[in-house]
Amino acid sequence: MTIAFKLPDVGEGIHEAEIVRWLVNVGDTVREFEPIVEVQTDKALVELPAPTSGTVLEIKAQAGSLAFVGDVIIVFGEKGAEALDASATGAQTGAAVETLSPKGTSPAQPPVAQGEQLDLRTLPAGRVLATPATRKLARDLGVDLKLVTGTGKAGRVTKEDVRQFHQGDTQAPPSPPVAATHSSDAAPAATPAAPTRAAVPTPAPVIPSADDERVPLRGLRRTIANRMVQSAFTAPHVTAFDDVDMTELMAYRKQANALLAERGIKLTFLPFILKALTSALKAYPYLNAHMDDAAGEIVLKKDYHLGIAVDTPDGLLVPVLKHVDRKSILDIASEIKVLVDKTQARTLDVSEMRGGTFTISNMGPIGGLFATPILNYPEVGILGVHKIEEKPVVRNGEIVIRSMMNLSLSFDHRVIDGATAVRFTNHMKRLLENPNLMFLEMN
Amino acid sequence: MVVGDIAVEVEVVVIGGGPGGYVAAIRAAQLGKEVVLIDKDTVGGVCLNRGCIPSKAVIHAAKTAATARKSEHMGIRVTGVEVDMEQVQAWKGGVVSKLTGGVQSLLKANGVTVVSGSALFMADNRIGVETPSGMEYFKYEHCILATGSRPVQIPAFPFDGEHILSSTEALALTEIPPSLLVIGGGYIGLELGTAFAKFGSRVTIIEMGANLLPGVDPTLVQIVKKNLKKLGVEILTQAAASGYEIRDGQIHVTADVQGNPRVLSADKVLVTVGRRPNTEELGLAQVGLTPDARGFLETDAQQRTQNATIFAIGDITHGPMLAHKASKEGIVAAEVIAGHASEMDAVAIPAVIFTDPEIATVGLSETEAQERGMETVVGKFPFAANGRALTTNDGDGFCTVVAEKSSGVVLGVHIVGPEASTLIGEATLAIEMGATLEDFHLTVHAHPTLSEVLMEAAADADGVAVHIAKRK
Repeated sequence: MTIAFKLPDVGEGIHEAEIVRWLVNVGDTVREFEPIVEVQTDKALVELPAPTSGTVLEIKAQAGSLAFVGDVIIVFGEKGAEALDASATGAQTGAAVETLSPKGTSPAQPPVAQGEQLDLRTLPAGRVLATPATRKLARDLGVDLKLVTGTGKAGRVTKEDVRQFHQGDTQAPPSPPVAATHSSDAAPAATPAAPTRAAVPTPAPVIPSADDERVPLRGLRRTIANRMVQSAFTAPHVTAFDDVDMTELMAYRKQANALLAERGIKLTFLPFILKALTSALKAYPYLNAHMDDAAGEIVLKKDYHLGIAVDTPDGLLVPVLKHVDRKSILDIASEIKVLVDKTQARTLDVSEMRGGTFTISNMGPIGGLFATPILNYPEVGILGVHKIEEKPVVRNGEIVIRSMMNLSLSFDHRVIDGATAVRFTNHMKRLLENPNLMFLEMN
Repeated sequence: MVVGDIAVEVEVVVIGGGPGGYVAAIRAAQLGKEVVLIDKDTVGGVCLNRGCIPSKAVIHAAKTAATARKSEHMGIRVTGVEVDMEQVQAWKGGVVSKLTGGVQSLLKANGVTVVSGSALFMADNRIGVETPSGMEYFKYEHCILATGSRPVQIPAFPFDGEHILSSTEALALTEIPPSLLVIGGGYIGLELGTAFAKFGSRVTIIEMGANLLPGVDPTLVQIVKKNLKKLGVEILTQAAASGYEIRDGQIHVTADVQGNPRVLSADKVLVTVGRRPNTEELGLAQVGLTPDARGFLETDAQQRTQNATIFAIGDITHGPMLAHKASKEGIVAAEVIAGHASEMDAVAIPAVIFTDPEIATVGLSETEAQERGMETVVGKFPFAANGRALTTNDGDGFCTVVAEKSSGVVLGVHIVGPEASTLIGEATLAIEMGATLEDFHLTVHAHPTLSEVLMEAAADADGVAVHIAKRK
């Protein structure tokens, strides 16, 4: 008896995952609950346990490939079961194994509605039907045949289908999961009509060079790419810049850190900036909002859940710090540390990346003067904060050296106008430049 | 590497000039790469020198002799048929050198440098070649390993070139042994056993398994077995040879045949129990590669090994040990090295066996398809109902076509019969194209030809075969 293990729904609303690494090989004996594979969803790296004890007969989804929820990724047999094997004489056996699971690719998938179960057996002959020449065309154009709807007999994918898919991208990938999964609870998961690729000019023909390295868009990178396209081509972005004099806050932070030294705590500026930001969001509620494109409504959020952009080797992730308005500077500092550590270890829970109402991107540690951040759609505002530097400024007719920090605020111009945005940064600026004022406002 | 030795810089080094390696070298050169091909021997590999080609020449010579003897029923009486084995070898040698000469001139025409010698990895991107005139060193950007396989030797029957033969020596025999014992009933043993039986040897085949040709559908093998018996070949299954002694110029092999001890005597013993990848003597550890316990190297779909600059193709990689698989993989590796988006995406690799009649299969059998959860429909057509087969006196055998029931997509074709090896080509193309049963039987097939069996078998699966009574 064999047991086919299907990719489970490893997190709410997740439809696909990249197989990062198999921890077992064909022929290995595994015990139930022993970890067998690492998969990466658009949110996190997850280890999946063996559903049963037995012998690994076949690994169907190779490392590096994408698997959809419901795909058979591995087949187990009872202890001692023979691994499928191709001997020198059993030529057709070897070929047959490959028929179902071409090396290096995940099992074939038809394009199906989001959330629908995908079953290899629903495909004719268990594969995407396409002639060798069509398959080559798809590879050359970088088209994933599994996503193309075949118009030919028995669902055969024709060259024309591949070309049309390539040009018009008429069939959106089965699950642009990001938009759906990342929307906060209140915003319906309705995916806005596929990010309009039509808006992108047709790229110039690519002339391949032997030195080019082609890296498939996978996992987190793919997610980021999808989300950025959706945001950039949905919300009209405007970015407002300003600078803040941080000299007073620096002095205050120094005092605070001296007091906290014996507790081994060292505060960064971020908790203070988050507090000032929260105050500004309360004063200008249209910045603490979501744009619900499907309903044509602006959703004003009553929670202050701030997303914090964190750079990881795999790409940008945005864990969410909840209820910033109800937390002390010290609570915020310790929670940031936990979130950042978990983000970098890729152990964040999906819930810890949801529900954001506004996002902050701290570019200070890296450098740069200004940026034009892209919104974390459907949020309507994102604030880039930059490094604090001593600069000559004019105070009372004299040039003095002060510690200055730049702010870059991008906003969705459908929701907010420029004047509101500037008033918003002015509010923050006033608090950050006068720490005492900020503390008077704190609850 | 000795100080003072200068490594020649080259873009691609191919190790092994068989049907995988020489094809890869030519394709890489066609795509603008500077290529060095290293081979121990004559280019063409086992396939051209000691395998596919010489064996098919010998098989054809044997068939010709047999046909001459058995054509009386059609009014052809030939008496005094003599086989001059030395002449057979000379003719075979001519065929082989014509082909290897062709490969050499193709390599030359494409600007591939051929170096004769044994290759050994020195370090990453460095390889040494022991040539008759000393060591030569190369520094490569990419390497394609295509070192092939060799016959497996069993400890109790070490090859000695005189009594205990591998397939290589059997193909070079200049005398017909009065009797031949074949250990191993796989395809190589059956092909050569059949040929020598037709030359006039008394042939015995012993096979450990319950059936000849392990892994091949027993219904196909049944036809071959029947013909072997007609040729006077003794077939012993579930039989294991344990040792031998040589007395009075005869080899006396002790064997256990279905639990009973037996002594089998013959003039020559041919051992054909499989082949093993040649991966031991390359210094692979120097480049971080470790073959698995059976000697195979892992690759991805682009034939890349775990060392990103090294590709492996053919018999040293997983899958059937077949020349055409090696050639395809060689093309893929060369194209990937040249920056193309190529990959080994063959849906099915055909396998052909030159027994009498021939067996050829491609794709899934009915059982394999069902094991994968597919509902199948099967059509079958006998060569006995094919006009062309009867006119060539080859009415033995049949063709089956396996398709998915709901879509009619053809999953596999299995043929035992005349020219099965050629007929499987149409079936392989059909499977790669995603053809359905209708595509087969709506296509006009020339009459009178053997290819009509494919059309009829597909029509039978759809219940519309003309030349066969409908099955209830």
